[in-house]
Amino acid sequence: MSARLSRGGFDDLLRLLRERGYRVVGPTIRDGAIVYDELDGAASLPIGWTDEQAPGRYRLRRRDDDAYFGYVVGPQGPRRHLTPPVEPLVKIRLRGPSPEVEPAAPADPPLALIGVRACELAAMAITDRVWTGGPFVDPRYADRRGRAFVVAVDCLEPGALCFCAATRTGPEVADGADFDLRLTEQGGAFLLEVGSARGQELADAVELEVASADDERARRRGLRAAEAAMRGRGFDLEGLPQTLFANLEHPRWQEVAERCLSCGSCTQVCPTCFCHRVEERAPLDADAAERVRYWDSCFTDEHSRIHGAQFRPQTRERYRQWLTHKLGSWVSQFGSSGCVGCGRCVAWCPVGIDLTAEVRAIQASPRPPADDACGEVELPAARTYAKVAGDPMRPQLAAVTAVTRELGDTVTLHVEPAGPFRHLPGQFCMLSIPEVGEVPISISGQEGAAILHTVRAVGAASRALTELRPGDRVGLRGPFGSAWPLDQAKGRNVVAVAGGLGLAPLRGALRELVARPEDYPSVRLLYGARSPEDILYGPELLSWDRSIRFGPETVAPAARAGHVKVHVTVDRGAPGWTGHVGVVTTLMRRKPMTPHALYMVCGPEVMMRFVLAELARAGVPAENIWLSMERNMKCAAGLCGRCQYGPYFICKDGPVFRRDQLAGIFGREGF
Amino acid sequence: MGAGEARPRIGVFKLASCDGCQLSLLDLEDELLALLGAIDIVHFPEASSAMNPRGPFDLTLVEGSVSTPAQLEELRAIRATSTVLVTIGACATAGGVQALRNFADHEEFIRAVYARPDYIDSLATSTPVAEHVAVDYELRGCPIAKAQLLEVISAFLAGRRPDVADESVCMECKRAGQVCVAVAHGQACLGPVTHAGCGALCPRFARGCFGCFGPKERANTRALADHLVASGADRPQIVRAFRLITGWAAAFRAESERHDD
Repeated sequence: MSARLSRGGFDDLLRLLRERGYRVVGPTIRDGAIVYDELDGAASLPIGWTDEQAPGRYRLRRRDDDAYFGYVVGPQGPRRHLTPPVEPLVKIRLRGPSPEVEPAAPADPPLALIGVRACELAAMAITDRVWTGGPFVDPRYADRRGRAFVVAVDCLEPGALCFCAATRTGPEVADGADFDLRLTEQGGAFLLEVGSARGQELADAVELEVASADDERARRRGLRAAEAAMRGRGFDLEGLPQTLFANLEHPRWQEVAERCLSCGSCTQVCPTCFCHRVEERAPLDADAAERVRYWDSCFTDEHSRIHGAQFRPQTRERYRQWLTHKLGSWVSQFGSSGCVGCGRCVAWCPVGIDLTAEVRAIQASPRPPADDACGEVELPAARTYAKVAGDPMRPQLAAVTAVTRELGDTVTLHVEPAGPFRHLPGQFCMLSIPEVGEVPISISGQEGAAILHTVRAVGAASRALTELRPGDRVGLRGPFGSAWPLDQAKGRNVVAVAGGLGLAPLRGALRELVARPEDYPSVRLLYGARSPEDILYGPELLSWDRSIRFGPETVAPAARAGHVKVHVTVDRGAPGWTGHVGVVTTLMRRKPMTPHALYMVCGPEVMMRFVLAELARAGVPAENIWLSMERNMKCAAGLCGRCQYGPYFICKDGPVFRRDQLAGIFGREGF
Repeated sequence: MGAGEARPRIGVFKLASCDGCQLSLLDLEDELLALLGAIDIVHFPEASSAMNPRGPFDLTLVEGSVSTPAQLEELRAIRATSTVLVTIGACATAGGVQALRNFADHEEFIRAVYARPDYIDSLATSTPVAEHVAVDYELRGCPIAKAQLLEVISAFLAGRRPDVADESVCMECKRAGQVCVAVAHGQACLGPVTHAGCGALCPRFARGCFGCFGPKERANTRALADHLVASGADRPQIVRAFRLITGWAAAFRAESERHDD
């Protein structure tokens, strides 16, 4: 049952929230815009002001009344308070008798968010799924969000760029939405609705009048008018994800890229964008290294770069990533569109690019599927994840018990975690050296309590990892990700195809296959290395199959596993090398690839492309092929957004995928 | 750095420049003691009279552009004696404001400015260090941001990649919660095409970005210039906007030349 709240009562409400320890945040005028900042009281609100918006243009304008909430939306909403743009995650104390990991910051006071529009409330529901709906919960977000007191406000005067009616996220703050109190501004007072027990508790503490049926009718009338004002704007949501992913090579992407500055402004004002990077901060004079989260954007170079590869070098690919994610793959990842129709990305684009116009352009002239050489993308339905407890960003300092030199620049670290550690072959961990950095490294086996990680020195962090000595400590998070399909492989012929260091993520699975002939009657490994000196795990390969021709044999096989056959090839031979020379696909041509076997493929992406093409030629169905993918991973917990690969996150949906999951994505430029 | 371990030897040099970037090192007042405990400053004329320009240096910071034949010679000698060479500032990374002469007749300038032109021995162009010798890392800015300088030195000592994001000024402007001066006030702002690092200093004082950190990667200067023209800017204004402190940097240079009659 609604009530009427006077302006005096509203003042009391803000005062009570402050008295209860809330940090009261809401709309206020600063630097010519309505920003979301700390409020001293109702006097800090943009009373009597509104904001006019057009693509690339925003201006404040005086209203001819003294409305408290007579504006549309400012550049940034509650997002910057729920997920601060720069946020320390953990501190790793280095000096002193024993290194320690501790949370970086004490808990902030609870937030009271005043004036939250329906679109912003919808954005908060969406970001709830991002930060808390996957396998890991970000405890910082969950804590701020759980304690936040939300005073929502109906939107009766949508701005010129608003299209929440099309995205079905406004203008009404619906009865069932997640607010504590809802206000509808009516002349010099408010219609108030309670949405929670703590909202009720606060409502009970202020003076209210009974609302009339006329007040309710006026609210409905206002909302209908607001909705009507937005008619014709936005885009048709129906089938939009499929349309976008069927038009990945549409010429419009290039056209918009010529106008796009790739500055990232759209992503920084979007209420649902969540991508971030994680960096080490270790000032010279500090005794602790901090790991810090910064808002990032899919428009930056670093977002899609790993050592030696840049997956989205072109602005065309970055804009496509942003838009197809926001309106397309978001549905697969989180169960809804990522757009709430607030229009911020249109207003605050410095050159006024209108995403709704871009979408409509593609919807108006879809390309025939035959135009696309990579084939059709299948967008999966959103899935639910088994929950993993704890702060995924908090590393433990694990002991390095042994270091095995594998190749000139490659070692295997034996890492002993404190406490129980269960993993499956194919999964990976995040290994870090405080002050230097953190990198994803696949688990390459387990020996006793030690988890093995084979690392090649390519960048600063991986180089520092290869320099570790037994007795050192290493930052460890994990395990993360999906595993090789060892259960599905039971009773079937298994063929593993590995290239270079790609043998490492397969080794744990291969050890299982080798050890259990009763489950895996025939196992074949086809392995390609650059040169004889680059052959990884040589002695172990020989122990699996002593018939390998390796050149001069120096290691006696430890055991013969008769069900295992290993074929090794090198790109370039060397004196004394008597084995095969040629890329790994030439081995595949020599040995017939049976369609019904189960294939596990891991190596550089270009090698996997050729291997998959060869398997397709041999008639192996996609359901029988599994491969392990790599992208830029910073959090590994499905939160930082950087390892996105079409509808998937490599970290939580991969790294091991079944080939048909990646239809239309694998092998496509810019993904 | 433990006792008894040799501290990395640092050299600080300048070519054609105003010394402002070197001063950023001295401006690290709170961190200076920790810094001096971790490094051994072997050559730093701006700060110390104990000079040893011959090195060798583990890390060398070079300020300034190459403007004279003598500087070119000096730079080659610096490179030969330095393990890691980092250029600091707009002059060293883009030629600096003095590179404005690259767009004009150098001889004519000399005749117009100097009473005795025959005393002047300068090159026709002012150019960034990387055009002449291999550079390990370029730190942008006019002047450089002292926090970034500290990060570059700290990263060098720890053996990590410096945490200096290759992104637009808009990114740090938005992170700081600044209101966009282009969108909300109609100002000409080079922030969307300019490399971050200054902390969005000018927008924080309600001014559009001047682009002093130089172009960001994939700077779409053409789209921004088209937008400025559509908003009423004339061609000379566009030329001046892109031809200032880092006007010789490739993307900015190409854009100003496109509008220069």
